[in-house]
Amino acid sequence: MNLIRAELLKLRTTSMWWIFAVILLPLWGLAVGYNWLAAEVTLSTDGPLGGGDMGFGSLERVVAGLYTSGQFSGVLLVMLLSAILVTSEFFHLTATSTFLATPRRELVIAAKMVIGVLVALTFWLITTVLNLAVGPLVLSGLGASAHLDAPEVWQAIALNGLVHVLWSLVGVGAGVLIRSQIGAVITLAVVYIIGTQVLQVVFFALSTYVWEPFLALRILVPTLASDLLISGPQLAEDPPRWVGGLILVGYAAITSIVGTLITKQRDIS
Amino acid sequence: MSQPGYEGITVEHLTKQYHRVRAVDDLSFTVHPGRVTGFLGPNGAGKTTALRMILGLVTPTAGTATVGGARYVDLPDPLRHVGAVLEASSAHRGRSARNHLRVICRAAGLPDSRADEVLTMVGLNTVGTRKFKGYSLGMKQRLGIAAAMLGDPRVLILDEPTNGLDPEGIRWMRDLLRALAAEGRTVLVSSHLLAEMQQLADDVVIIAAGRLIRQGPVAEVLGNTAGAARVRVRTPQAEQLAAVLRDAQLQVSADPDGALRVFGADPARVGQLAFAAGVELHELIGENADLERAFLELTAGKAGAR
Repeated sequence: MNLIRAELLKLRTTSMWWIFAVILLPLWGLAVGYNWLAAEVTLSTDGPLGGGDMGFGSLERVVAGLYTSGQFSGVLLVMLLSAILVTSEFFHLTATSTFLATPRRELVIAAKMVIGVLVALTFWLITTVLNLAVGPLVLSGLGASAHLDAPEVWQAIALNGLVHVLWSLVGVGAGVLIRSQIGAVITLAVVYIIGTQVLQVVFFALSTYVWEPFLALRILVPTLASDLLISGPQLAEDPPRWVGGLILVGYAAITSIVGTLITKQRDIS
Repeated sequence: MSQPGYEGITVEHLTKQYHRVRAVDDLSFTVHPGRVTGFLGPNGAGKTTALRMILGLVTPTAGTATVGGARYVDLPDPLRHVGAVLEASSAHRGRSARNHLRVICRAAGLPDSRADEVLTMVGLNTVGTRKFKGYSLGMKQRLGIAAAMLGDPRVLILDEPTNGLDPEGIRWMRDLLRALAAEGRTVLVSSHLLAEMQQLADDVVIIAAGRLIRQGPVAEVLGNTAGAARVRVRTPQAEQLAAVLRDAQLQVSADPDGALRVFGADPARVGQLAFAAGVELHELIGENADLERAFLELTAGKAGAR
């Protein structure tokens, strides 16, 4: 508990958290704008409640997307901030005083995971409150109901919180594994933003030219596992949602366990 | 706040191998409470690596280091037993000094009020809310001392704490460390500033190339070296005086200019022997070996080839 209080004070006493929060707002605004457009297009071409598809999916999906606006950027920022919780100790040479106060290094990493989860839930809470304020306005402006009685909307919001939490754990784990601040941030950002498309193409190519079942393995890509968790199976042969969540937990567990073992052995100098 | 009892430092056969370099090589020494122990060696001798192994930050290849009988990592509340000042630049640049200390307080289960107490103790209370990046090197060293004193530890380990301090700061540090030792605390301080150590330390541990060269009380280490106390004496009756001195079991050699050099005696003893023998003296100079010369003689040729 002392350690969690110490880690929380560390986070609060530098400018990092509010810089990330300030970055989050315009990105959230962009996401709302995009989802607004998607809702407008879908509603205008859709008729009452058909299965029309303008590339944005069904109306339920579009509405759920509106209520989880800022997910892509929020998860990215939460993950990077979680990684920086760890890497800044080495970047600013504070690892020495941290590990002098707490020679059992695995406890420090565990405390940082707790803080990562708190950051994730805070960011999720911010965007969710904003979405619940803006979403009904957008939908009523388009002549649709607010859909706040739809269970899919609340499920989407809850899963949104879950992916924030899981990605923050992946971030802490990656930060432990990749000690370099710049290295960790760039690796995570590239894998998260560009990696998805690249790896998706790779898996499609593998399944087409090498062996078909490779396509099912594409959910091992963390971002695609995340999509599976949020959106459910897209293809008939896709596994159920919870497999996506399990894969993300697996990434968080592997990176943090391997990283912790390395950190326990590592010379701090 | 601290527990009574033996709080010395014991290092036994401590070894650290980095790839091809043996930074610390079978190093054994003890540090006693109530004394300031100087940890001396040329740059690259392995002082910092040895101190970091004592503090559990670097894993030894072989050997053990204990503080008060326990390894640092096994101490239940390490900051209440041991305070350490390692490198000066070890706080987040964007965090204030006071918050830096409060973070440590929370991790160690100490009340936040200790942060303000130690800031006052090192004279930084007026600049505690300033961010670390605005601190001068001297202020950083004082902050390092403040952090080390948070848990009111019985053992203090300091790596080159006078680096970057002005003369006034060096004097402040010296007085502080002497006062802490006088309270019965164990103080181990590394330095390459030998003259500084001569004024500060009660004991010295001298290492070079990762190996122990000598340890013991400063006076004893100085007395044991080849460059120990000697006297230069000039007299018109050199042969007669040399015979008298040799009869008194003293070692005598002649300088090129005809003066005599007497080893293992002070000027008073030489003057007394000369007076008793009726020998006329024209010059009588005591040449005290200093730590610096002893150190250079002890470590000569051992610092290279690393």
